[in-house]
Amino acid sequence: MGEESLYESLSRRGVSRRDFLKFCTAMAAALALPSSMVPRIVEALEKKQKPYVVWLEFSDCAGDSESILRAAHPSIAEVVLDIISLEYHETIMAGSGKYAEKALHEVVTKQKGKYIAVVEGAIPMKDGGIYCTIAGRTALEIAREVCGSAAATLAVGSCSSWGGLASAAPNPTECVGVGKAVPGITYVNLPGCPHNPENMTAVIVHYLTFGSLPALDAEHRPLFAYGKRIHDNCERRPHFDAGQFVRKWGDEGARKGWCLYEMGCKGPQAYFNCPTIRWNTGTSWPVQAGHGCIACAATNNWDAFGSLYSRLPNVPGASYQTTADKIGLGVAAVAAAGVAAHAAIRVAKGSVKEPEEK
Amino acid sequence: MPKIAIDPITRIEGHLRVEAQVEGNKVTDAWSSGTMWRGIEIMLKGRDPRECWAFTSRFCGV
Repeated sequence: MGEESLYESLSRRGVSRRDFLKFCTAMAAALALPSSMVPRIVEALEKKQKPYVVWLEFSDCAGDSESILRAAHPSIAEVVLDIISLEYHETIMAGSGKYAEKALHEVVTKQKGKYIAVVEGAIPMKDGGIYCTIAGRTALEIAREVCGSAAATLAVGSCSSWGGLASAAPNPTECVGVGKAVPGITYVNLPGCPHNPENMTAVIVHYLTFGSLPALDAEHRPLFAYGKRIHDNCERRPHFDAGQFVRKWGDEGARKGWCLYEMGCKGPQAYFNCPTIRWNTGTSWPVQAGHGCIACAATNNWDAFGSLYSRLPNVPGASYQTTADKIGLGVAAVAAAGVAAHAAIRVAKGSVKEPEEK
Repeated sequence: MPKIAIDPITRIEGHLRVEAQVEGNKVTDAWSSGTMWRGIEIMLKGRDPRECWAFTSRFCGV
């Protein structure tokens, strides 16, 4: 299982050298590494053993599992499933009950400190954690044991990153992310609802190549995936700048692919590489499909920005009611108001006499 | 006769436990429990009805 290298297992499954190199190049691009790093990635994936991985599901919907299983591109799907030696995953494993738990126990004890724990789903803390139990143990107990003995934990999806949907107000089961539930572990948050499997694959490739996790931001998210704002990378951005907005579902603007800001798009508050890597092997992403971004990767998105359909207030540059001509008029009006205000102050100070009406 | 418990039931989404009473080689009674609860119905109270689909579609991601 964990003994062969990724490249060996790929060739065994008929993936060509060319596709392997294409994958390594794509991973370097995803990680924002220079192309000179590609040979290092190639070398690492050729030589290093596949890491043991256990995939834990807690208060989740299995959407992050689906996201990775639905990776449509043949070589990527091969790689995603083959890059890791997946020893435990409730939704896809054959064994049930005690056989499943035995597989988990073996990795945790025999590969202690060497395996990667992937966590999907939040950890409920209320009432001693009874709102999610597996084999009679709470999610919290399992996370403490399994993440506590792992080389690193990958929190995939928003629920395991910061609580996600499971923690939406009033957070009935007091759900939190794994980093908060088990303090002191080494972890990476990959929020998103669901997470994007290409980012998770890139993190694992980085780990295999450099022996470390990629650079993270203050919320433990890799900068390569969460460093840029959706609004700044959105294909509909020119329409925002031009004041061309969808104002009603199905209107002319909607048909023409105009900006969805008026319809509640949260792109100006969301940091994620969704517009660049997209979904289903780069086919599309929510805004391209015609719906505003729901900021699924942003902490507390279900409550922080109002309804999914309410317009975000105070977005700089939101000239949503104007055309370029009107912006010009607006600037003139502001200037005029400033002059008037200034005049009023001078009048009040008695330095200018008010002109008489004629 | 023994009562057996299978937990987790795998290859499904969610967390399921089944307990069965076995007499000889026959199951005479059985109990199933969903062992995870998030309270999404409670979250929906007071929200903009237009956004509820985004919550309910996350009951299950399969």
